[in-house]
Amino acid sequence: MKGAWSEEDRRHAAALAATYAAAAALALLAAALFILAFGGSIRVAFATVLQASLGTWGGFAQTLNKFCPLLLGSLAVAFGMRGGHFNIGVDGQIYAGAIGMAAVAFGLEGLNLPWPVFVPLGILGGVLAGAFWGLIPGVLRVRYRVSEIFVTVMLNFVALYLVDYLANGPWNDPLAGDAITVPIPKSAVLPQMLPKSGGHMGPLIALAAAAGIYFMMSRTIIGYEIRAVGDNPTAARFGGININRITLVIMPVCGALSGLAGAIEVSGFHQTLLLGLTGPTGAPNYGAMSILIAVIGRRHPLGVILAAAVFAILMVGSDSLQRSIGLPGSAVFVFQAIIVLTVLYVEARRQLST
Amino acid sequence: MSAAPPRVEMRGICKRFGEVVALDRVDLEAAKGEIHALLGENGAGKTTIMNILSGLYRSDAGEIRVDGRPAPIRSPKDAIGFRIGMVHQHVELIGNFTALENILLGHEGTGWVLRAESQRGAVEEVASRYGLSVPLNERVKALPVGIQQKIEILKALYRGADILILDEPTTMLTPQEVDALFATIRKIAEGGLTVIFITHKIKEVLANSDRITVFRGGCRVGTVRRPEASRELLVQMMVGEREFPAGAGRPGAVASSSAGPPALSVRDLSLRNADIHLLKDVSFDVPAGAIVGLAGVSGNGQRELAEAIAGLLPVQAGEVTIRGRSVEKLTVAARIALGLVLIPQNRIDEGILPSLSLAENFVLGLHPYIFKRSGFFEQGTAHEMARIAIRDYNVLTRNERVPSAHLSGGNIQKVIVARAMALFRAIGGGILIANNPTRGLDIMAAAFVHARFREVREGGGGVLLISEDLDELCSICDRILVIHSGEILGGFDGPDYDVYRIGELMAGVRRRQP
Repeated sequence: MKGAWSEEDRRHAAALAATYAAAAALALLAAALFILAFGGSIRVAFATVLQASLGTWGGFAQTLNKFCPLLLGSLAVAFGMRGGHFNIGVDGQIYAGAIGMAAVAFGLEGLNLPWPVFVPLGILGGVLAGAFWGLIPGVLRVRYRVSEIFVTVMLNFVALYLVDYLANGPWNDPLAGDAITVPIPKSAVLPQMLPKSGGHMGPLIALAAAAGIYFMMSRTIIGYEIRAVGDNPTAARFGGININRITLVIMPVCGALSGLAGAIEVSGFHQTLLLGLTGPTGAPNYGAMSILIAVIGRRHPLGVILAAAVFAILMVGSDSLQRSIGLPGSAVFVFQAIIVLTVLYVEARRQLST
Repeated sequence: MSAAPPRVEMRGICKRFGEVVALDRVDLEAAKGEIHALLGENGAGKTTIMNILSGLYRSDAGEIRVDGRPAPIRSPKDAIGFRIGMVHQHVELIGNFTALENILLGHEGTGWVLRAESQRGAVEEVASRYGLSVPLNERVKALPVGIQQKIEILKALYRGADILILDEPTTMLTPQEVDALFATIRKIAEGGLTVIFITHKIKEVLANSDRITVFRGGCRVGTVRRPEASRELLVQMMVGEREFPAGAGRPGAVASSSAGPPALSVRDLSLRNADIHLLKDVSFDVPAGAIVGLAGVSGNGQRELAEAIAGLLPVQAGEVTIRGRSVEKLTVAARIALGLVLIPQNRIDEGILPSLSLAENFVLGLHPYIFKRSGFFEQGTAHEMARIAIRDYNVLTRNERVPSAHLSGGNIQKVIVARAMALFRAIGGGILIANNPTRGLDIMAAAFVHARFREVREGGGGVLLISEDLDELCSICDRILVIHSGEILGGFDGPDYDVYRIGELMAGVRRRQP
């Protein structure tokens, strides 16, 4: 962002790196103790996780496929936080985006559009649906001073049951069973990046979105105003910034980012609309993980990219732990929680000591 | 004389914040029964060394002794153990608790239930010993600042402090309250306690201290006894060999031209919160080319008036015009565009974006104007403007990239004033409303700010200067209005002011009509 790094920037970066190194070391230690307590081998466990998530093309593709919604979801949380808004509605916005994508896919099926037109249109449908889902809490906050926290949480349920209805009702695929729609047309499917291993183009779109958010935050006037409102809304108001206007930008953008994730999940991964889009069953949803990733990534696009990658690796690697050392698959969520807690702890200590 | 060791002795105290040296090998001692003043400009290190003595900060080097014995103070708890208590500049009481509950808070003994009543007698005993009469049953938020401060002092004394530190205790008080405060302090010192008070007001020091230690730039310049001190000597010790900015002195004749609309005109402005009149039929003008002062004790509607004019608070009735244009229903940004600039009262809460860089703070409010051409937020432009302001206003900071929360209060205020002046130029002048703009600034910086206000006046702009410091108002204003309980009780034309009459009105004493 700036030219040459000064002494103090370097020191700041070093302190930050030390914080995360300390947190990582603590988390690894805690994870190792946990594995020992279950009678597993630490070396085997760590090797399995890395081998499963990064060591094969298939595993790598899976990791990328998980990385995409995690990155977009956590951007949707981090972006809101930068502006002082708490978006707890990532799951609902993902569902809204998925509905938007599916609606375009089913609605325009008869036009026989070629994929370079059909896929972007579908994704646009998902983005707009997500943005609408984000706009609702924004409007309620501006008009009636309702906390966006409650509204976004409640809208998660609304979106979930809307998908439930659509996937069991009008769009249901009777051959596939409950809570799943017929497949979207082939020309609405997002092209594959790693065709043999099943990796779609979504992660590239997500990285582009992260770059876009970074640019918006650091180089645009609205981005500056968002950061100002997030840092001190009173001072921002004194500076002539209209906070209501900022809310009406932030919340739809949050929704659009999650909606993009939902559209990509439908177009690239599931190729159908179904319940359970927001994460594998028995695991925390993308929405909950996104909040953790946004916090660990310090609400910064670059930090969020790194944290989302780590979480994707852990999620994919966790399945194999069960096979290799008989650890329950959910053990990985314990590790993730340990990482979050250690980062928060080390960070708090660092701030206290200065 | 086999002198007893001083009550407090600090030797070779050093403290750095990052690269800024806040204290450089400072020695200090205070005796039993002494009122010891720490005098210095903002950022001179006076508050820092007292924060070390009271355990809020740890020194990087140096030694503290109490009664000649080493006193390793690492936390406020340690400091209380050595019977050191500090009352901070801003009152830190809980508004919804009674005075008694505040005094006992954190000290209510064992158990989960606050049994305030059982200790009422003990508190009253301490209060009467030092003549600190406070209404123990009142909720703190309903009490004037002067009383709140007494509660803070009583709280420190009740906890056993016999070395009492007061940080800028008079900032928020009326002249009468200041007198009462120093009478109390004297009584406390006569009771054998040591009182150390921090200030940048020479007048207070000369009137109320036994010894004076002067700080400058993180070093101790020297300690003088009261009889040997004079205004000239103290000023010289405080500021060293420096020139005052030009333009200081008495106000000139009103330069306003009768042609053209006033910079600001307020008519019958009323603001109510439930049944309470915050502002009642306020009417006045600020002519173009004039500085109008608004005198009054803090909390009499000054903040509400400024915010209502700026469009931050909705009003029930009345009209505001800026340069002849009615601002009814206009947003804050639209009022700025018409020519209104506000320097807020509370610089931390209302003025800065704490974790954003100084440069990004500097352009707040300016940003719609300076980035208009490209439409993008240009870090380069922001940094360049901030560097110029840092140089012109002598802001103490490493550079323009540090988060603004790292700056001291006085330096934050300089940034806010610099920003307001830049904005004022960017929008082509109009009306500058400054709410206590020099609070916490040192002599040089305050004089510099006053010189900027005079520039505004000479450029044909208007200034509404809200201040609790009557000396400041008298030195610079062409006219002074007095506000009390949300009403303008009178107006006085300069340059010679009847300070006592103004003081009466500040206290709400209306002269009976003949």
